[in-house]
Parts: sequence; structure tokens; C-alpha cells
Amino acid sequence: MSGPHRLTCRMTRREMLTMCRNGFGGVALLGLMGSSAFGNMVAQVAPSGTNPLHPKPGGLIPKARSIIFLYMDGGVSQVDSFDPKPRLAKENGENPYDKFSVDATQFNSIGKILQSPWDFQRYGESGIEVSDLFPHVGQCVDDLAVVRSMVADFPEHTNANYFLHTGIGIQGRPSMGAWINYGLGSENQDLPGYVVLDGGLIPPGGLDNFNSGFLPAAYQGSIFRAGDMPLPNIEPQEPTSDLQRRKLNLMSRTDKHLLGRIGHSDHVESAITNYELAYRMQASVPELTDLSGESEATRKLYGMDSPDPNTRIYATECLLARRLVERGVRFIELTCPNVAADRWDQHSNLKEGHELNAHAVDQPIAGLIRDLKGRGLFEDTLVIWAGEFGRTPFAQGTNGRDHNPSAFSIWLAGAGIKGGTVYGATDEYGYRVIDKETTIHDLHATMLYLLGLEHEYLTYRFSGRDIRLTDVGGRVIQGILS
Amino acid sequence: MEGSLAYHRIACIVFGLGVSLLGCSKSDPTLPDQVDFNYHIRPILSNSCYVCHGPDISTREADLRLDTYAGATAKRPGGRAIVPGNAKRSILIHRVQEDDPEQRMPPPQINKVLTEHEIALISKWIDQGAQYKTHWALIPPQKSEGPRSIDDLLQERIAAKGITPANPASRASLIRRASYVLTGLPPSPDAVQAFEQDESPNAYARVVDSLLASAAYGERWARHWMDLVRYSESKGHEFDFTIQGAWQYRDYLIRAFNEDVPYNQFVLEHLAGDVLEQPRRNPDDGFNESVIGTAYFALGEGKHSPVDTRIDEADRIDNIIDVTTKTFQGLTVACARCHDHKFDPIPTRDYYSLYGIVESARFTPVPILSDDYLEVVGDLVDLNQTLRSDIASRWQSSLGTTLAVPASRVIPRPPATQDTTGAREVLGDFRSGTLSGWIADGIAFDNAPLYGTPLIEEEHFLRLTEGVASSRQISEGLPGALRSPTFTLGHDSITVMAKGYKSALRLVIDNFQLIRAPIHGALDQELSSDTLTPHRFDVSLWKGHKAYLELLAGTYNKNRFVTDQHMLIVHDSSYFEIAYALAHNDAGFDLPRQERSEAALEPAIRAWAAEKASIAQIAAINQALESGEFQHPQIHEPIRRKQQIKQLLPPAELFIGMTEGDRVTSAVFGRGNHKTPDGEPVPHRFLTALDSTSTPFIETSSGRLEFAQAIVKPSNPLTARVMVNRLWHHAFGRGIVETVDNFGAQGSLPTHPELLDDLALRFVESGWSVKSILREILLSDAFQRSSEPPAGILELDPSNLLLSHYPVRRLEAEAIRDGILATSGQLNPTMYGPPVPIHLTEFMKGRGRPAVNGPLDGEGRRSLYIAIRRNFLSPMMLSFDMPIPFSTFGARNSSNVPAQSLTMLNDIFIAEQARHWGELLIKQPHVDIKERIEHIYLKAFARLPEPDELEEAQSFFNTEAEELGLGPEDTMYSVDIWSAYCHVIFNQKEFIYLI
Repeated sequence: MSGPHRLTCRMTRREMLTMCRNGFGGVALLGLMGSSAFGNMVAQVAPSGTNPLHPKPGGLIPKARSIIFLYMDGGVSQVDSFDPKPRLAKENGENPYDKFSVDATQFNSIGKILQSPWDFQRYGESGIEVSDLFPHVGQCVDDLAVVRSMVADFPEHTNANYFLHTGIGIQGRPSMGAWINYGLGSENQDLPGYVVLDGGLIPPGGLDNFNSGFLPAAYQGSIFRAGDMPLPNIEPQEPTSDLQRRKLNLMSRTDKHLLGRIGHSDHVESAITNYELAYRMQASVPELTDLSGESEATRKLYGMDSPDPNTRIYATECLLARRLVERGVRFIELTCPNVAADRWDQHSNLKEGHELNAHAVDQPIAGLIRDLKGRGLFEDTLVIWAGEFGRTPFAQGTNGRDHNPSAFSIWLAGAGIKGGTVYGATDEYGYRVIDKETTIHDLHATMLYLLGLEHEYLTYRFSGRDIRLTDVGGRVIQGILS
Repeated sequence: MEGSLAYHRIACIVFGLGVSLLGCSKSDPTLPDQVDFNYHIRPILSNSCYVCHGPDISTREADLRLDTYAGATAKRPGGRAIVPGNAKRSILIHRVQEDDPEQRMPPPQINKVLTEHEIALISKWIDQGAQYKTHWALIPPQKSEGPRSIDDLLQERIAAKGITPANPASRASLIRRASYVLTGLPPSPDAVQAFEQDESPNAYARVVDSLLASAAYGERWARHWMDLVRYSESKGHEFDFTIQGAWQYRDYLIRAFNEDVPYNQFVLEHLAGDVLEQPRRNPDDGFNESVIGTAYFALGEGKHSPVDTRIDEADRIDNIIDVTTKTFQGLTVACARCHDHKFDPIPTRDYYSLYGIVESARFTPVPILSDDYLEVVGDLVDLNQTLRSDIASRWQSSLGTTLAVPASRVIPRPPATQDTTGAREVLGDFRSGTLSGWIADGIAFDNAPLYGTPLIEEEHFLRLTEGVASSRQISEGLPGALRSPTFTLGHDSITVMAKGYKSALRLVIDNFQLIRAPIHGALDQELSSDTLTPHRFDVSLWKGHKAYLELLAGTYNKNRFVTDQHMLIVHDSSYFEIAYALAHNDAGFDLPRQERSEAALEPAIRAWAAEKASIAQIAAINQALESGEFQHPQIHEPIRRKQQIKQLLPPAELFIGMTEGDRVTSAVFGRGNHKTPDGEPVPHRFLTALDSTSTPFIETSSGRLEFAQAIVKPSNPLTARVMVNRLWHHAFGRGIVETVDNFGAQGSLPTHPELLDDLALRFVESGWSVKSILREILLSDAFQRSSEPPAGILELDPSNLLLSHYPVRRLEAEAIRDGILATSGQLNPTMYGPPVPIHLTEFMKGRGRPAVNGPLDGEGRRSLYIAIRRNFLSPMMLSFDMPIPFSTFGARNSSNVPAQSLTMLNDIFIAEQARHWGELLIKQPHVDIKERIEHIYLKAFARLPEPDELEEAQSFFNTEAEELGLGPEDTMYSVDIWSAYCHVIFNQKEFIYLI
């Protein structure tokens, strides 16, 4: 396997220039690096030392600096959130087979047409309808671009999760956060460039949703937990910090002897540098997670005083997300708190389950949007709210909804997004997309575009192919851009 | 083959004599004298042109292909793309130099720009006649002139560059290097000192030989191989189900590498170990080793409830094709799933030929049966035989006194397979005593007839079994399976008339194995009845899908949230019997009882005693029993003995391997979609690129064996090359072909083609001995060189492609962890066995989380024994680039990031090991700090400390003693200080780098 990262990881600028200058020959270079290296935009801008997370320009003019991805694990029902369908109420209890052709579903327990248990209200100047599940987010609707025409390729959680996170429905591909850090590097060397804030639920498919796949490990997501040790191995084991410093000093001196004996080695030199970075990270992570400096008003805004413990968890995640954005972290994903109802995956008890989930996230998300706006961060930050697929307009059993990959709603807000927009449409049942079908690859293309990356040019050579986050698809969703 | 003669000559021009590369043409000094298609032109065309003008017709633009001479030189309206001998008249040269960016090739959306140097190369190549050649890797290896060693072939090129290679490495460096490369562990201080003191000329060879002979060697190379076959012990996806017995395959690898099983045999075992005529037996326990190789098929992902089982099957088979062709052939055949390969001569037809081969095979739980096990089964068979003779003789004697008239009885006649209305179809009918085309598998069916077994309940002889296929001919509790041929689901229901106990009756649709709720739960029914009972499957959801019926002795564990979900358990009492199976629409599932037949009793008894009785004869005996003509024999004692012998059966561990189904062929799926098959099914055959004359396999079933034989045929140009290149990669950190899993057009070119070929040929000549090639590589001067770069190397060979010095590299994740355990004295040398549960941190959550949290130190076992669960991979292993098990990873990433420093610095495991080491150290009778530090250095770095290292360590101890208020004597006994120092040792770069 070879890939353009060779330029960033394995070859210093010095080596690179030496090689080009002495004209070892294009052929040797091809053999060494995989022949696409020079045609590749990322590789052209990459060689700047051995740190793979060094910031790199993207190529396009970026609108966003960071992305906050609010992952709604399990699949929110579109017809109960952002895509109102009055016809469901009219035909409640009727047989869906009499209305339209019904696809196989994962549980294959097709019930009757099921009306939404919630009313919808119009909000803001745009008058976009939002269900009563989201009274706080509804207040922010003029900042949102709601895409009602999403489709996914898979009706099963794990494939759909991998697809949403990596652009391919199987295990082992790099996650979107990894791709973005590969493409752009990170602006903060003291924190990981890709952070997952764990609210309690790791989605089906596990940590591989956040992995770097065949990209170097440097790009994988770091999972932050609530609590004393938010990140693994961030806390020194030594009883005093002085002792750690003294140990580091001894290491550094003996490592220099090693360099003396083996001549120069970029590998060893950068491994030595990494210890200095690691040492600084030990300080910057506790500083990040220390919320004592946040005002009472801010805490309230996010809902940290809520009587609902799950709201408090998600509020903390949202607040941390803002702090990560302030520190230049490129990609932040929030996972949902573990409410009693098994994620948003309401195969039964839709009303109770969706209410618990919505209550956990609604106020914190609205708080996040307002806080970002108040601090002037909203223009630089792309906020995305999405699950892996939608749910059926007919019941599973009597009071649940099964998976529906043929239509679901997501929304985007912030950097480069035209607020107060509704994009695309589903049929009268909210079952299938009828206008402006939008794929996960389109979403990824749009995210990359807003960060200044052209999705067709962000490639990595694996298995003899130049692989992209958007596989062989993806169009930027122009209709939601400002 | 075309172009083969020129292959090495040109390779020398390109790689051997840099001078000729740099200075021969007056117009452009960087152009070679002779431009070669393989080494100069194909890389450019493949990378920049083939996407639209390559082998794949589906994306071909302007009906122009540049990957063949005929295509590139064909007459076209605007002129030929390439006019051999005349670059100026070649349209291709004009188009790549167009000023107008819209007209220029490659077009902007391809995102490739040809450099002037590349254009000059192509022009010169056209002027020289535009000779096309077969891709280098598809030409069989050629012997170089005269006997030349590895060093001869390397040295030529080093000398030609004017480089003086590095001095030999110190003995300390060398033994550490050889030890890590061959065993993944550091050398013991004793071994280091013995080597330092051994003055004989073959001292180093002895070190290499003893490392090759050590048990740790097999562990090291098994782990390398596990990277290729996406080794995992669980299936990932939502619940991370266990892959039953995956670890048996890991142990198989360790044994195979340690025994140096010839690589061709090893390949055959992987692809077709279940159908080899002479399977390899374990020398100690006698079980079949060969069949364990097939477990690699089953190491992929598995989804518990796919909405479309055909897509699921296609994804699984795709993964198998991907892993198989990369691992054994260095080819990316999976690229041809949706379209012809864009760069290599691999058409989709080849992909779907291989697809059909995999589709024809079936996953099966395979028992590992030791000699001990088989001996007990043999005793059971003997006892059955004695019992049979005994009963037969009693009946014979009673015949003398009773009537010797012919008995008659209704027996079934073979039914028509389909009735005239099409309302039902007989899938299998065992009442007439044949297997009805079904495939019996496992010890339960070994050489046993289907009927005529004494049916015994509660120690009473009832009658002889009749009209069923039974898994208890020998005894209950023996593993076995009976499977139908593949059929297409065309009716609403399937009914199976069967009985059994603690056994499974499954309908396997599209080879989908992980049969569970919510969708498929009813497709796995437990047999729990001692009379024949209709078992009905509603299959109306899956009409049109292919399927087979499977009866298994044993049941799958269905507990949803435990780690051992979905493992087959064969109980003592497990057995099944089946009378018939049919597909039908209405509720009727009775097959008519059929015609009368007669048989004489006396010959019937004789035939029965010899296990040769016909179904009519068995029926006659049973009738005689029923009518009281025969006594029911009193056989309590033999039955009790049988029970006692059965108790002696050792447990038979199961793993998931492969067995033969019947032959299935697949059509090409249009754009990779099974819903749009394109044309007739493709016959099974080998890859046409490697064997253009190959004809479709003449085979009885899946064709796996034929496929495997084509891989290990000595004329296969890739098999030996790919493997020796892997060995080289692990010895030097980079293969002769750097892209170790891709020898295709998009792969890199070999840096030393002659060397690669020589090694490949010697590999085959040596009887495919991995150890002999590794020995040769490790004994080369190149391997023994110091890692200090020679002067001027940055200008002459900055990437050390010529290996003038040994490349410094970081150890792999497992070697780092194992090295820590070995150094701290905590390494537990236990080999083999079920994995140690993974230690779960609070960060490792989600569905399928193992019920048992493993110990932090993994019981001190080597890393390859720690459980590899797809959704719960070790964070330490991942941060040091252990690959995620989804595809073939012959070359790991070697990243270098702060998270690694944080692991070494703050991970509790590392701190704990430093503490263990410190505790050991203070008990040792070293006279002073210096002596102890020397001991530490020997253990950690296989060398003694330099004076300034000693000095710095001494000053560290002084400071720390002062901090703690300790005197010099006390310092020697302070666990805190020594642990802190050991922790520093683990964190020195030398500890995790191979130098």
C-alpha cells in the first residue's frame, strides 16, 4: 500500500527536496510513493515536517473552520420532527399496503398507518414547521437549513452508521472526521483534531465509526468522556509533576545519544518531538474540560440546571463542543445520552422514547446555537444534526416505527448555510423522497466544500485505488448554501 | 510470453545503472536510452489515462483504449492516438500538450497533470516504436545469470551509485534485530552475552538458526499472517458475535510456521483444506490440520439481520475475494466487482467466476477430532458391530425353530421430485435408504449406513431404524451435518419430517449463517421430539432466493447479550433423523407410503450383520420383531458399556470452516448489483490474466481445489514472488515491491527485480520453505549492516532503496507490548488456546461488549493471544497501527503521533510493568547502581550503557534519592526509584525502535 501520506509522514521536506533536486527520476518516485502523489492536491500542499496534523490549506476558500456533528443515534422519525404529514392523521389506522408499495423492513412487522403523536408549530420568520418534540430548536429555525429529502443506502443500523460516518457501509473505512483532519490538519496541536464527546451511547458498529481506517492512526477520533479522566492516558501516573518532568529530561538526554549513534532519523526525531506535544496535551485537556469559568447564564442557556439528568449530560457535551471549537478543533461529534429508551430507535413506544430523547437534546442544542452566535463563532462553525436513517410512516406493531432508509430529515446550521431554508420533499406519507433526493455522499461533499476541500480531490491511495470519502458519488447541496 | 526477455535488461537500465538513467540523451539528459513500457510508460498511462482509456469498457471515453497496442494504434477519424515510431504524428502527444485546458488531456476533472518529463518519456517511447509489454508481474520469474547471492545483487547497484555501504552492525544490535524480526521478542541477556563471546565464524548463523527453531518464531509469523486474512474473533456489526473457534486457526498458523509447512501446502490448506486427499495430521494429537486452514474464509464481518440476504452474501463474498486475491496473488481482484478492473487485466467475468466458486462452498462447524477421540469412536463402532453380530446370531438360531417364510412390508418407493401441478416439490426423501443427493458431513456419518441401527431407548431394544437418515448410527452426541443440495425457493412453505434432540434444523438462505431474530429467527428450529414431526418453515418472504436445508447435531446458543452468542454446542444427547423434506404451497405435507416389497428373513439377517441390508430387508426384520417372530434381545450390558465408552469421548472443539456444497455459478452482476444479472452464469475457472489458456474447471463441486492448485502451480508468476516479498518486507521494513498486496499496474515497481525473481525461484526449489528464505535473508550482509547511514547517502539514495544501511523502524504494536512483558519479567510463555479476554476500559463501550473484562496485563500472554473483537479492539494496539481487521494489510502504517507518547508515558499497563520490573530488580544482588543499570540495558537494549548514559542515570538516581531522603544503600532497595527508572527505559525511543 502506498499513499500520499508518505509525503507527510515518512519524508521530511529535506528528503523531499533532496530527492527532487538530485533527479533520482520520476520512475523511482512513482515506485516509491504511488504514482498519484503529485497529482493530488493534498499531497502538493502537505510536506511540512513530519507532523501529520500540521494545518494545511484546503484549496477552496473555506467558510467553516470546524464542524459540530450532532449524531442522533438510532434514527429520528422524520414525520415526527421536521417533516409534517397531515395525511397520516387522516388515514391513521389504515392499511399501508392499500396506499403504496411497502419495502421489506428490518423487523418485518408491518402495522397500520400511524399518525404523529405530536403537533407541529410554525416558528420564526421562515415559518418552518417543527414538531412539539423540539420547542427550543424550533425557536432557532431561522438559522437552520432543513433537508427533508435525505436517503441512506442501508436499513440496518451498523451499515447505516458506517455509511454515515465513513461513506461506505462496511467496517474499516476512515471516518469523516479522520478524512477532514487528513485534508486540513488541525489548528491546535495540543488537542486531538477529531474529538468524539461520548454522551453515553457508542453507536452500533462501535468505535470503528470514529476510526481512521486505512489512514494513519493520527487521524482517528479521540473519545472524550465526562468525568475526571476525559481522555485515555491524559493523566500522569507520577505522584508529582516534577518527577514526570525529571523523567522526561532523562529520556530526552538518552534519546539524544541514540540519535548520535544512528545518525539522523526522522522517525526517531519526530517520536522525540511527540513527547513534548504529549506533555502539553496533559495540561490542555484538563483546562478544556474545566467548566468552572463558565457563567451561570451560559450554564442555564445550555440546560445544565435541568432536572433531567440526560439534558444535563447533553448540555455539558454541547458546552464542551463550543470550547473545542474555540480551541480550533476541526471535527467534533456528540453521541446521545443513554435515556431509558434505547437511543432514537423506537421500534415500539414511539411516544415515550422520542420524548425522552428529544428532551435530552433539545435545549442544549438551542443553547449551543445561541451561544455560538453570541460569541461570533457561528459564522465559522458548521452544525449538523442527523441520524443514520428515518422511520416508517406506518407502525411497527402498534406504537413503534421501523427503519426507513428511503426518507429522513436532517438539518445544517452555521458557516455557509442559508438559515430558514427547507430543501427537498417527501411524498404525502413521508415515506419516500420525491424532490431533490440527497445522499449521505452529498452531505459529505457539502461538509468538505464548506471546509474548503473539494471532495473529488481529497483522496488516499489504498488497494491501488484513490479512495474518497464520497466514494464515487457526492454533489454539493447548493440549495442550502448562503 | 511477450516481452519477457527484455524484462531484466530493462530493469537494469532503470534501477541498476543510475548513470545511464541520468545521462544518455543529448536533448534531455534525464531520459533513459531505451524507454521501457513496464518501467516507464505503464505507470504514467495507468495513473493518468486508464480510468477513461483502460481495460474497463463501461467508463471508456471516445472508444479509445491505451492499454493495448491495437487500441492505441487503431485508425481513428482524427488520426491514430499513437503512431509507432513517430511521436510528432501521434494524436496522444498533441492532446497532452494542448494549450486550451478544455482540450488538454487528461481533462481537468481527472485531477492529473502530466509533467514535461512524462511527456518526453512517452514521446521517446513512441519514437522508439511504442512497444507494449505484458505487465512485469505477470511474466514468470526468470533466473538471473550465474549463481548470485542476495548481496551480489544488492551490491552491484550500491557500487554503481558510488556508495560505500555501512559497516557491519554491532553484535548487540544484530542479535536484537534478528530476535525481534524472527520472534517479535528481545533476546535474553544470556543469549546476548553468549553471542558476544562466541568467536566462531558461524556464531551469527547459530543465533539465526536457534531463533528460527524457537516456538516464538511461529507466534511472530502467525501474527504477520493474521494481518493478511483480517483475523478477528468476532463478527463486528451490531452485536459483535463470536466467530466460533477462530483461535484454532491462530494456533494452526503458529504450528504451521514453526513446522515450516511448505507454503504451497499451506495455500492449498487455506483454500481447500477440507477436500485434500491426504490431509496433514497433527503429529502429536493426530487431528486434521489441513481443514483448519479454511477457517480464514470465515473471519470476515457478519450481520445478524440483513434485510436483503443477497446483498449481504455479495458483500461477504466480495470480502473473501478481496482478501484471497490480495493475500495469495498480490492482486486487487475485488476492483472488478462492478466493472472491469480499471488498471489490471481482470474482467468482471473473472470476478464472478471466483464469486461462483466461493458461493458453491458452505460454512460449517468443523470438529477438531484427535486420535483419542477417533479411538473412542472406533471402540463405539466395534461395540456396535459386536452387538450386531450377537443379535444376528440369536435371530439366526431362532429362525431354525420358527417359520422361514418371506416377510413383507410397505416400503416407500422413490417419489417423483415434483408432482404434476407444481404445488409441491420433494427436496429430499430418505425413506428408501439413499441420501437423495444430500451431503453428509462429519464423524456422525462416517462410513455408516443410513438405516438399520438398533433403536434403543432406556436400555431396551425397540427395533431397527428405518426410513430415515440418522446422525446416531454410531452414537448420539457425535458432531455431524446433513445438507440438501442448493435449490430455489418457489413455494410458500417448506416442511421437514424430522425428529431429534438438542439439534438444529436450519434453512440457510443465500448462504446466510447468522440466523436469528428479528427477521430470520424462525429459519432455525430446534429438534426436540422422539417421533417424526413435521417442521414447517414459512418462506414466502424469500421466494426466488437460493437456499439449502441443514440439519446439525447440536444447537446454536442464542443468548443475545453474552460473548459466546451464536456458538454451536454439541450436547451428549444431540442427534437428528430426517425422513423427507418438501416445498409446498398448500397445507399438505404427507408423502404417500408406497409399494409393497418382500424380503426373505434369513438373508436379511446376514446382510444386516454385515451392514449391507437393503431397506426391504430391514423392514422385514422389523416386521418379524413386531409380529413376535423374533425376540427383542436383552442387551443391557453392552448398552451400559457403550454409555461408559461414550463418557470417554474428549470434548471436540469446533471452529467454523468450509465444506463443499454443490456447484453454483453466478452471472456477472451489472454494476455490481445482484438484481441486474448480465448474461449467462460464468463457469468456474482461474484468473485469465495469469493463465490465458485456462479452460473452465472440470470439477465435481465448488472448484476451490482447482483454484488453489492453479495458485500453487509453479508457472504461476505471482505466488512465490508475493510471498518472498512479504518475507523481505518484514526483514527490512519495506518490500522489494513496496506495495506488498498489490503487484498490479497501480502497485509499485520492484526496486530489485532480479533479486525478487531469484528469491522466488529459490523459494520454489527449496520446497517452498519459508524458513530457508528467511535464513538466507537474515544471513545476508545487507541485513547485518549498521543502521548508520553512509556519507553522502542523502544525495545518492535518500530513501535507502538500495539498502546500503539497515533501515531504522518502529516496532509493531505487539512487539512493543511483548517486549515490555519480556523485559519486566512478566511474560507468560503459555502458548495456544482460547483468547484471553480483552481488558475493557471505560472508553470501550457499546453493543456486544464482552461480558468478561480481561485483566489489564492480559495474563502476561503475548499479544496475539489477547481477544481480537472487532468492536472492542485494544486502544494500545490501535494507536501503534495494528490494522483494523477488514481487509488484507501486508504492510502496516507506521504512524508517529503524540497519542503513542501518551500511551507509553501514562498508560497504567506500562506503569504497572515498570513497577513489576522495579520490584524484581531490588531483589537482585547487584553490588551497585552501575552493575544494575548494565543489567537493565542488556535486558532492554541488548547492550551495555555508554559512559555518559551511566553518568546521566547516576545523576537521576542522586536527585531522586535526595527527593526521597534516601542514602546510597537505601536507593538500591527503593522500588519507587527503580520503577521510575524502568519506566524511563520503556519510554526511550531505542526501546520501541529496531536499529
